[in-house]
Amino acid sequence: LRPDAISKVVIVGGGTAGWMAAAALSRIMGDIPTFAIELVESEEIGTVGVGEATIPQINLFNSLLDIDEHDFVRATNATYKLGIEFRDWTRIGHRYVHPFGFYGIDMMGVEFHHHWLKGRALGDRTPLDAYSLSVVAGLEGRFEHPRPGQPKSPLSRIGYAFQFDASLYARYLRGLAEQHGVVRTEGRIVEVVQNGETGFIEAVVLESGARVEGELFIDCSGFRGLLIEQQLKTGFVDWSAWLPCDRAMAVACESSADVQTLTRSTARPAGWQWRIPLQHRTGNGYVYASAHLSDDEAAATLLANLDGAPLADPRPLRFVAGHRKQAWVKNVVALGLAGGFLEPLESTSIHLVQTGIARLMTLFPTRNFDEFEIARYNRLTEQEYVDIRDFLVLHYKATERNDTAFWDYCRTLEPPEGLAYKIEMFRRNGRIFREHDELFTETSWLAAMVGQGIEAGGYHPAADILPDAETLKRLAHIREVVAQTARAMPVQAEFLRDHDSASNVSLKRAS
Amino acid sequence: MNEHSIRNVVIVGGGTAGWMAAAAFSRFLNNGYTRTTIVESEEIGTIGVGEATIPPLITFNGMLGINENEFVAATQGSFKLGIEFVNWGGIGQRYFHPFGVHGHDLEGVHFHQLYLRERKRRVMQDISAWSMSSVAAAQGKFARPAPDAGPPLSQLLYAFHFDANLYAKFLRAYAERGGVRRIEGKVVDVAQRAEDGFVESVTLADGQKIEGDLFIDCSGFRGLLIEQALKTGYEEWTHWLPCNRAIALPTTYQGQPDPFTRATAHPKGWQWRIPLQNRMGNGIVYSSDHMSDDEAESVLMANLEGEPLAEPRRLSFVTGRRLKAWNANVVSMGLSSGFIEPLESTSIHFVQSGIARLIALFPDKRFNPVERNEYNRQMQTLFEDVRDFIILHYNATKRDDSEFWNQCRTMKVPDSLTRKIDLWRAKGRVFREELELFGNTSWVAVALGQNILPEDYEPAADALDEDKVAAALEQMRQDYLKAAERLPTQAEFIARSCAAQAAPPPLPEFVF
Repeated sequence: LRPDAISKVVIVGGGTAGWMAAAALSRIMGDIPTFAIELVESEEIGTVGVGEATIPQINLFNSLLDIDEHDFVRATNATYKLGIEFRDWTRIGHRYVHPFGFYGIDMMGVEFHHHWLKGRALGDRTPLDAYSLSVVAGLEGRFEHPRPGQPKSPLSRIGYAFQFDASLYARYLRGLAEQHGVVRTEGRIVEVVQNGETGFIEAVVLESGARVEGELFIDCSGFRGLLIEQQLKTGFVDWSAWLPCDRAMAVACESSADVQTLTRSTARPAGWQWRIPLQHRTGNGYVYASAHLSDDEAAATLLANLDGAPLADPRPLRFVAGHRKQAWVKNVVALGLAGGFLEPLESTSIHLVQTGIARLMTLFPTRNFDEFEIARYNRLTEQEYVDIRDFLVLHYKATERNDTAFWDYCRTLEPPEGLAYKIEMFRRNGRIFREHDELFTETSWLAAMVGQGIEAGGYHPAADILPDAETLKRLAHIREVVAQTARAMPVQAEFLRDHDSASNVSLKRAS
Repeated sequence: MNEHSIRNVVIVGGGTAGWMAAAAFSRFLNNGYTRTTIVESEEIGTIGVGEATIPPLITFNGMLGINENEFVAATQGSFKLGIEFVNWGGIGQRYFHPFGVHGHDLEGVHFHQLYLRERKRRVMQDISAWSMSSVAAAQGKFARPAPDAGPPLSQLLYAFHFDANLYAKFLRAYAERGGVRRIEGKVVDVAQRAEDGFVESVTLADGQKIEGDLFIDCSGFRGLLIEQALKTGYEEWTHWLPCNRAIALPTTYQGQPDPFTRATAHPKGWQWRIPLQNRMGNGIVYSSDHMSDDEAESVLMANLEGEPLAEPRRLSFVTGRRLKAWNANVVSMGLSSGFIEPLESTSIHFVQSGIARLIALFPDKRFNPVERNEYNRQMQTLFEDVRDFIILHYNATKRDDSEFWNQCRTMKVPDSLTRKIDLWRAKGRVFREELELFGNTSWVAVALGQNILPEDYEPAADALDEDKVAAALEQMRQDYLKAAERLPTQAEFIARSCAAQAAPPPLPEFVF
């Protein structure tokens, strides 16, 4: 045992981020006899979780925790999702889907989309959507697990994620964390004790007077950043010039019969509206810029655009797009909203928590808190925020919409440098490159750039290895195979039933 | 709930018994304060070899809210209408022990009494012609009667055959969904309270210590808690039921699954045949005093219909029962509580019955002996009743072709059985006593099948007009036949409602 090993981690705040951290840390390190985790949360303080959409990376997190998928789906009232549908973003009446998974199949060593671009040049105007099984199945509300054993089937590499009730998810993770020895302490924090010399956090003091000491503190206290900001004054990098939305109005409504296996994002006059169908209800929210829209107008627009009766009054949320200057300062690591915020347009909130945890595990400190290692954590965290920001800004920037001052602002803003480069690279000859380890893949960039109406000036010259007629024939074949495969997949309700994943309301106590 | 309420139930062992208990507790102890934990080790194999059951399992499924079709599909299951006994009464003889009832009583007189009287007047068909389950089984037919089905179809009663390992897996999913915590590990130590021997905790190989208020011992024959720790003691019944070995072997399937279990007597033991959806379960049960393992294996191999799908598995056991099924704070279930050969498919019923009784007599931390004693009394009665019924099959036979059968035929049977046989032999009387599992139909079918013919019938039967009774009996027989003819075959019924999931069909592919 290392003499400088950390023996006590304190997690401050028990929302989604707090319990994800608790579950993962306890799973990996909980069996070290001298290692303890304590999570402090107060039932008085609500969590923000409003019905969350995720991206396929969550499957890695679940498998790290040894979570049985069907059990998890049932416990969190979850639904499956194959991508995100964007309505009215490019122009009113237009729609496209950003799928998890791939378009078509690469042929002759040339990426599929170059064959598709060539087909367009030859007059085949079939949209990209028709080549993605995730899109076709998603729009029809179908779902099936990937079938890696059949590599020539489009189902072999389909990606999927979940939409779930975030508070049920936190509860589910709490069960796992407590099984692995995490101690939960109820109470509101009224004081933070800092070492006079080093500024390290030594303890938090609860209303009851109890003092919770620790060596490493994970700040999951939400927007306010109780430790990272209120105590350590770390500072915030404000990106609202690129992402001007700073409010959300959220409300759940009754489920409708329209059950796509997709999250939906519909552009509105001063922002956009999410729609996240769960098993028992649908989550909705209007993300908007307060400079362009009042809260009351937002609530009215939201309520006018639900496909079921609202189940509560709309709940307002405030935020600023951006991130904490440093996610890790001294012995405090900020996760979740305490670390930064990017609007949920691409369902990245939970992913950011997950990668924060993964990075923390990789660089798990000793009581020496090596600055050289901490610097790496902060650099990678910032890079991840920047990558996601650029992808989000693309949706606002590349649009034809000119119907409101909001959209005029977005359409004409100066994009971040990295984004400008990516757009230009695609405009030339349809080239897409995934930089470093960025989250969004070539497929995602392709989907969003094509979807948002950016035209490629040409295709890869090597695509001409196929004669024109052969290219057209193959494109038609791929579309056909995709459509047939989608038809062979069960609709979600059937899938949930067959796999015993459907939650059902019963008289039994929740276990 | 109060300070005496049981908070922690620990099940040791996760075979069929362990997961049945876990599943039931997840439903019936889901009270917000009792936690069920099951400890099992993947290193330790389970015995489950392809099980046949009896109709009360329908009740167990119902208690747990298990959908029967899902359960059958998940366990490669099939339906069973009774047991066909071949070569038991004498070589070349066969009879059917059906589920359900024989015929209809007329004017308050038992059907079998009228049948016995009629048999004295003329040559009669076997009594199985008056059982809905028998007649359907003979035709390979099965359908679950609709809840509003009228007679005679409403008399069709059934149970299941299934793969016991799949059944445990199915129940495990159910139990874990209901909050039962499963811990993987081998128990290496048992801690007992000094003053009274109550089990306080079990320790696993990895050092983990699991504490409990109530322990359920499902550890199999060895009885890790009930015997190794508590030294409860075991009552052997081998002088009545000398078989102490079995060899099990699954084979490939030929034709359609018969909706019945078959038990074929051999010169020195007997062989089971349990048709599942995907394979046939087979096994031979014998006495090591009369036959070597190798000889038994060759007898089994010589009497298979399909190709072996695995190596033969040899099992040994001692027939009898644990002196107290419940001792201190340990309740034994399954093989740890006793064993009776599966001739009447009672193994799973013992577990189910133990669970139901434990729930009915569920203790608190004070462990009132009244509850424990009542549980033990009821379980003892159940074991002894089943024992007597099994002995009847061995004892009432004409077979004299081996030392084995000579011993069985001439043994002194328990007094409780002698009394029953005597009552039957005199005037065909059967009285179901208290909690007795096998009722009138079972006794009538087996006693007649094993060639014990009553000397007379009840005088009350003479009150009815002979010709009218004869006509009524003939009408009933025809009704059963016609009803069976209208049923689908078991294969058709399974295909329609509960076929095990086949591998998914291949998907279209990109072909260039």
